[in-house]
Amino acid sequence: MGFREHAAHVRRILGIVLAVLLLGGVAAVLVTGGDKDTGTATKTVRGVIGSEKAEFFTDPQVVKALAAKGFTVGTETSGSWDMEELPLDGYDFAFPSSKAPADGLRAKAAQKTKATTAPLRPFYSPLVVVAHSAAARVLAGNGLATLGPRGTSGTLKMGAYLAAARADRTWQQLKGSAGHAELSGTLFITSTDPVASNSGALYLAAASYVADGGRVAGDRAAVTRTAPLLRKLVQVQGAQQSGSDAPFRDFISGVGNPLVLVYESQVAAQLLAGRPMGDLVVLYPDTTVSSDHTLVPLTENGRALGELLSTDPELRKLAVRHGFRPQGAASEFTAATQSHTAYLNQTLTGVRQAPVPTGKVLHEMALRARDQGDTA
Amino acid sequence: MTTRTRRTRSLSRTVAGLALALLVTATGSSCASGDHTGQDDGPRLPVRPGTLRVLASSELSDMEPVLRAARTPTGVDVRLTYTGTLDAVEQIASGTAEKAYDAVWLSSNDYLRLRPDTARKITGETPVMASPVALGVRPAAVARLGWDPAKVTWSQLHRAVADGKLTYGMTDPMRSNSGLSALVSVASGLSGAQSALTERDVAEATPRLKEFFTGQKLTSGSSGWLATAFARRTDVDALVNYESVLLSSFRSGELTVIRPTDGVVTADYPLTLLTSARPEAKEAAGRLTTYLRTPEVQGRITEATLRRPVVPGVAPAPALARDQRRELPFPGSRKVADELLDAYDNTLRRPSRTVYVLDTSGSMGGERLERLKKALAELTRDFRDREEVTLMPFGSAVKQDEVRTHTVDPASPQAALDAIKGDAQRLSAFGGTAIYSSVQEAYRFLGRSRGDVFTSIVLMTDGENTDGDPATAFETFHGSLSAEQKRTPVFPILFGDSDRGELDHIAGLTGGKLFDADQGSLDGAFEEIRGYQ
Repeated sequence: MGFREHAAHVRRILGIVLAVLLLGGVAAVLVTGGDKDTGTATKTVRGVIGSEKAEFFTDPQVVKALAAKGFTVGTETSGSWDMEELPLDGYDFAFPSSKAPADGLRAKAAQKTKATTAPLRPFYSPLVVVAHSAAARVLAGNGLATLGPRGTSGTLKMGAYLAAARADRTWQQLKGSAGHAELSGTLFITSTDPVASNSGALYLAAASYVADGGRVAGDRAAVTRTAPLLRKLVQVQGAQQSGSDAPFRDFISGVGNPLVLVYESQVAAQLLAGRPMGDLVVLYPDTTVSSDHTLVPLTENGRALGELLSTDPELRKLAVRHGFRPQGAASEFTAATQSHTAYLNQTLTGVRQAPVPTGKVLHEMALRARDQGDTA
Repeated sequence: MTTRTRRTRSLSRTVAGLALALLVTATGSSCASGDHTGQDDGPRLPVRPGTLRVLASSELSDMEPVLRAARTPTGVDVRLTYTGTLDAVEQIASGTAEKAYDAVWLSSNDYLRLRPDTARKITGETPVMASPVALGVRPAAVARLGWDPAKVTWSQLHRAVADGKLTYGMTDPMRSNSGLSALVSVASGLSGAQSALTERDVAEATPRLKEFFTGQKLTSGSSGWLATAFARRTDVDALVNYESVLLSSFRSGELTVIRPTDGVVTADYPLTLLTSARPEAKEAAGRLTTYLRTPEVQGRITEATLRRPVVPGVAPAPALARDQRRELPFPGSRKVADELLDAYDNTLRRPSRTVYVLDTSGSMGGERLERLKKALAELTRDFRDREEVTLMPFGSAVKQDEVRTHTVDPASPQAALDAIKGDAQRLSAFGGTAIYSSVQEAYRFLGRSRGDVFTSIVLMTDGENTDGDPATAFETFHGSLSAEQKRTPVFPILFGDSDRGELDHIAGLTGGKLFDADQGSLDGAFEEIRGYQ
């Protein structure tokens, strides 16, 4: 029952989408094609990026720094996993938020004999959980987190959190939650849709690593072992967003879930812009995953842009201003965030990095958590 | 299952009607000119550099001053075309949206995300502001109930309704996001669900939801009309809508805003690009959202629209309460959302009682009558379980021997639907046009309105009044109706050679709304009126 009658309709729509996407691709090539390889003149490059990098690329100073090096960069945002569904024609680069979707994009680009050069990883950012202070205090009071002296940053104990999730623990059952209307219902962390978006998938990677006794999932059997728990972490959330920007915005506006998984860069960017943080607390999971923002070149100009982002001191400085940690020496990030140590764990002390499964395994994990895969 | 099939079809048909007939284009710039309203092949806005064509939720019209101010600093000329949230979702799914727009800007993408056929059609989503769905309750009712507005739960609201102490108006969740969000909130609240709603939660809460919806005295296809209708009524205590709409439509404190303490569903207004948009439009959208999220502009938005800012350090407007609420998860599967909608339509809400006053005068002969028959046949898919439908054809007077009434029996809905279809096929065109006398006859037929149904009259005519009573006699008649009977609105449909002035007057007098089938189709008008019945 349900929507059987839609099947034919959906197929027809898919056909139309494909046709439109193809047309769009052709149009984009026509628009951008004329500007290519004109030597010292401005190179116009187009790319598809994860939503958390949108503000970096539209920052006037970034635009200026790129222009000084001869680049005009046009971007549009997409969930990192969704990028694979886009037609790559007309783009010079794709810039998902981690290695796994980047691998998929490389494979797809290779089929189209596009990119032959290696992907570049100009900067990275660990996943953190932002919490409102009341929620953070309740977690700390119940052994799920520890807080620093100022109470604005701390550590989320992943083992204890996953045990609570397994037991369907509610906020009402935790001591200290009374009197906070927003602290009711099942305790959970809001993430993005792991099927569409990188941070949601990396959340599952970290959770499965902890739940499976510090083993990185390597095959179906490993996925099956943690599938019931991961399913719980996802299903409890209901509808999920497909990019990491929206849940952070909801959190800031004070109307979302009190615990939201974001990139450290999203918080650091606000701090570095001098924005007051209200009652925000940054919790670093004791086992987390870093997002290696990975630029997949699709054209020669795309590759040149990736190298510029990795090596140009000015652009590295601007990346830090947007909260990212440039690859290589840590000094740039540490120096820039010196006055924000109340929120940021500069050296990631006490934070273990979980290895990330391959793209294929991660995708399988995500599908099963969302009930879209083979649940056998 | 039969009901599901009917409803699903009706959703996709909604779009066709709306896209053709009822779009109104507004603009965020002063240079807008020319006719952008829908033509036969739908709206085709010209593609101009720096222009961003946006299909938007109707309540976003309050953003026009902000968008006009954005034009100089961003170079982006935003053109908003308004429609309902769920209709926009259908337009995206069907591919209609990408023919005319670069982006959609809805109050929320929650429903959009449940549609697998839209996932590939949208790309970046950027929330711009936020507003929870709340209840605006008349202060007298709050006092009568002895409530502290900061501490009311969904269970208390349910209790008050069940005890006959609270009535309210709410938009149709099939057509409007505020209604859908309210339905999800109240289902979560009354089922005691601790996380995202499941089918079991919905089933468990059904008896109490049914009681809760006995208090719904007003329904509407749009939040604008709901506010107008509410203002006419003194017997309705509360209005369900976005916090921002409740506060800005009733600025003199006519309503006390209650955000239930056990949770709300919040709209976050994401500006959402269509995958098909031109690269140039995508960049324009990026410039626009960066601008809209600067602290200065966020400050202006919250002051002007009473929505909540989404950047740190910007304080919400003083009228907005600062205490936090749990955000109720929106169902994660389409199945749960659709079952909830289906239950609302066919089980939970009060049934409808509808009279169709249909002009079958001589001038309707030929093609016009065929169009009416076809439109009525289509309409039968949209009738809900438990609905009482009367066809009342008229010429020089009501054709009494052709008046038929059928009630859709949930056990075998098809029987009534087939009968209505059969009656429609037997209509024949002869006689003059007695508009006012026939509408009076419809009021007499409905008699003393039963309190537990949504009663309405649809008037379809293709000409001016030629027979029976004149307008003045109708006014006198309407003035003599009981207060309860006066609450039955007439929804006239402009068709053929009918007189807009005449029909507008009837709509205004009875608290209805005029629908235009000349710009689009008769099917589309009938379909849109369903949201108000």
